Amino acid sequence: MNDNREFIEEFLVESGENLDQLDRDLIALEESPDDPQRLASIFRTVHTIKGNSGFFGFSKLGALTHSGEHLLGRLRDGKIQLNDRVTGTLYSMVDAVRSILHTIESTGVEGEQDFRELSQTLAAVAAEDVDLPEAAPEAASLPVPPAPADTPATLAPAVPTPVEPAPKAVTPSASPAPPVPPTSRTASVPTAPPVKPAALASDTSIRVDVGLLASILDLVGELVLARNELRNVESADPALEGVIHRINTVTNSLQEAAVKTRMQPIEHVFSKFPRTVRDLAVACGREVQLVIDGADTELDRTLIESIRDPLTHLVRNAIDHGIEAPAAREAAGKPRAGRLLLRAFHESGQVTIEVQDDGAGIPVEAVRSKAIARGLIDADGAALLPDERILQFIFEPGFSTAALVTSVSGRGVGMDVVKTNIEAIGGTVDIHSRPGLGTTVRVRVPLTLAIIPALVVRCATERFALPLAAVGELVSLRADGGPRIEGLAGADVIRVRGRLVPVVFLDEFLGLRRTTAARENGTVVLVRVDDHEFGLVVDGTQTARSDGDASPSHDSAVVSMEAASLSTIVVKPIGSLLAQLGIYSGATVLGDGGVVLILDLRGILRSTELPPQPRRADDANSAAIGVNDSFLVCRTITGRRIAVPVDAVVRLEKFAGEDLQAAGGKRLVRRGDIFTPVIDADCLLGAHAAHDDVGSVSLVVLDGRCGGIGVAVRQILDVAAPDSMLQPSLAAPGVAGTFSIGGIATELLDLAALVPTAASRS
Amino acid sequence: MNSPNSPVQSHGSRYCCFVVGSDCFAVASTGVAEVLRDGKITRVPHAPEAVIGIIHLRGRIVPVIDMRRRLGLPAAEASIGGTHLVLSLLDEWYSLLVDEMLDVIEVVDDAIEPPSRATSESSHDAVAGVYADADRLVHFLDPQRIVQSLARQREPYLQKQGASHGGI
Repeated sequence: MNDNREFIEEFLVESGENLDQLDRDLIALEESPDDPQRLASIFRTVHTIKGNSGFFGFSKLGALTHSGEHLLGRLRDGKIQLNDRVTGTLYSMVDAVRSILHTIESTGVEGEQDFRELSQTLAAVAAEDVDLPEAAPEAASLPVPPAPADTPATLAPAVPTPVEPAPKAVTPSASPAPPVPPTSRTASVPTAPPVKPAALASDTSIRVDVGLLASILDLVGELVLARNELRNVESADPALEGVIHRINTVTNSLQEAAVKTRMQPIEHVFSKFPRTVRDLAVACGREVQLVIDGADTELDRTLIESIRDPLTHLVRNAIDHGIEAPAAREAAGKPRAGRLLLRAFHESGQVTIEVQDDGAGIPVEAVRSKAIARGLIDADGAALLPDERILQFIFEPGFSTAALVTSVSGRGVGMDVVKTNIEAIGGTVDIHSRPGLGTTVRVRVPLTLAIIPALVVRCATERFALPLAAVGELVSLRADGGPRIEGLAGADVIRVRGRLVPVVFLDEFLGLRRTTAARENGTVVLVRVDDHEFGLVVDGTQTARSDGDASPSHDSAVVSMEAASLSTIVVKPIGSLLAQLGIYSGATVLGDGGVVLILDLRGILRSTELPPQPRRADDANSAAIGVNDSFLVCRTITGRRIAVPVDAVVRLEKFAGEDLQAAGGKRLVRRGDIFTPVIDADCLLGAHAAHDDVGSVSLVVLDGRCGGIGVAVRQILDVAAPDSMLQPSLAAPGVAGTFSIGGIATELLDLAALVPTAASRS
Repeated sequence: MNSPNSPVQSHGSRYCCFVVGSDCFAVASTGVAEVLRDGKITRVPHAPEAVIGIIHLRGRIVPVIDMRRRLGLPAAEASIGGTHLVLSLLDEWYSLLVDEMLDVIEVVDDAIEPPSRATSESSHDAVAGVYADADRLVHFLDPQRIVQSLARQREPYLQKQGASHGGI
């Protein structure tokens, strides 16, 4: 049989796909039991597997699928009717077939598992009379002799009257809940019926080895580097210039296309959920209507694997803890069937996946008291925090174990694991819940791990790349009274807007240099890993145009993120020998051909003895702002009253609307040789920019930590200190919170939110 | 050092010979992915001592093992640039930085003897056997052993140098 190995492999792949199709078809059949085409499709699929298993001599598989085919035949001919028992038995058959295929894949043979009972159940179900529908679950428990003519003789004789029927097959009808029509128990409403496209796909797509795609991508990377070198060739020959230009264009397109081959629709994960949801709904005694939206959203195939488990966990939570039992739902005036929405879409270079239920929601007060009990926050702080922030405590490790799960219907079992897994691939998770109305968990993941935006820094003679996702801001050190490193109780820290952030000298950490020159005039890259913030002291960032010898800007205290080199890099593995060091997550090749290591910030954090300093949700803004700090108070063009910390402001300017220049989709204002990008303050606050003709406005130019942008406002009102504590608010985008200045409620502009804005614009 | 007239026996395995220091070494040619001169090496801080950095080769990042350091020999003079002998090992590539590439020889397995005592202490663990060629002694290296022993070496960088920088 070894000669057949190649064919068997093909058979396994094909059968795996067939089984997925079978799952989908069965769910659809439950929805519309009278759909003859669906039934025919199921019959064909099972028949194909049976035929192939006969060809390869897999007798168990053959016998099992034969019984299944027989049952389906009876169903098709109208001899029996579809009910829970029939579908349950068919699902068991699909599972058994999958299990056999799995055994074949790993061992090459069918294995020792015994499926005769299941075959007999299949035969028994097939033998049931059309007049004996689901109302007779007892009949299922009785050993029904298999139909003698159609059942393979090898199956029956060994155990002619089984003492117990196959347990799996009877579970659905044996459940104490009154039988409900299958259509209302689970109904999947995919945006597009998956059957037709599958048939069409075979015409326009082919199966390609993943390794081959990877090597194509590598070769394209090589080509890009060679192209880069070619671009540096000085030539007076116009013909050569033209060729170089063409090669340049083609290379870019080729790279784009090659990257796309890594992409797969999220359908590959979502397609499993109708079945998962059905099984869970049956197991938990719920009625669930699954709605899938955006299954064609694409992301990197490696990420697809990484989100499968977290999503399954979230779906399980939603059914187990979110959606109430049908009776409870009816009592609450909701439809019996809960609605579970799985939605995926692209949003600003990321993929967002939502798992939304219309269940009972999370009891916020229980979470609040639990957080206090666990010492995560004190009672006063907890009272101040809005519900939205309180909910985030669910992601704390071990938060939802024990008490919460048992005493209050514990939503969020293992949510910390979900969060850890998503963060490991550079994503984020947040949760929103409204009592009685349901819960939404939003997962955001990058499109791909292979290509990430990064900041390239210089340290001693080397360059290193840092994933931009972890970088908060850059602070340039100055010996003459600007930001500097302070020694505090033996540990080095930097003071950032009142916060003390521990720092690591990269040159010392890597052993590149003994005496650090960066202490006086280097740059501190503030990074955030998990819930820890620390500063990485480097010599400087590589500016966009330079080739490594540029010196950091000393003009301003803070380095503009735009001036820093934000490159999009291709992450390449560095091999097990170096990966085990735990401080590099890979390497990349820069545009100048230089190879640069990518720092694993999580690993660096682990390897240093920085004081533990988890950033609590509440101190991000409020704790950092003392009452004595000064704020610039402005009125926006639409009339909102906002405040900006004075120490973030570089200068104020007045300008007329016609001074604005548009370039590359950005609005810029020119002052000498410097172009300052301009953003309307109302836009930062999530409102629409006002009208075209803004007339004369003032520009608040922020420092480099905030991207060096100019914020356009109608009028500058005052510089003053607030006379109340900041009330954090999550609801409004761009607003860190609200406090009172001069007795008037004023919104504080969220500068931390500006940094990613600035980065994405470059 | 070249010996183009070395007897070629049939049905043997082919080995790539190279020089490190004053000795001749060889690895099975089946594992050789590429031989190249000059690759710009990027340092990897905290890597095992013999791993002097990484190079970029055909889309892959390849760790470079300085065979002089690995075999416990003094560093080469700056004038010797060295040659990268890139090996493919369990789907990962490693570059052995050697002084000079020699020829490819074919040797039947029976002719390879266990390592002699002459091989120095630190190289001993990587030498799988020796073969007396016409005018030279060829040391056969087991690439897997070269890498495996490196994987066990880790610099103790975890002790933080906190005390070394004092006040402000």
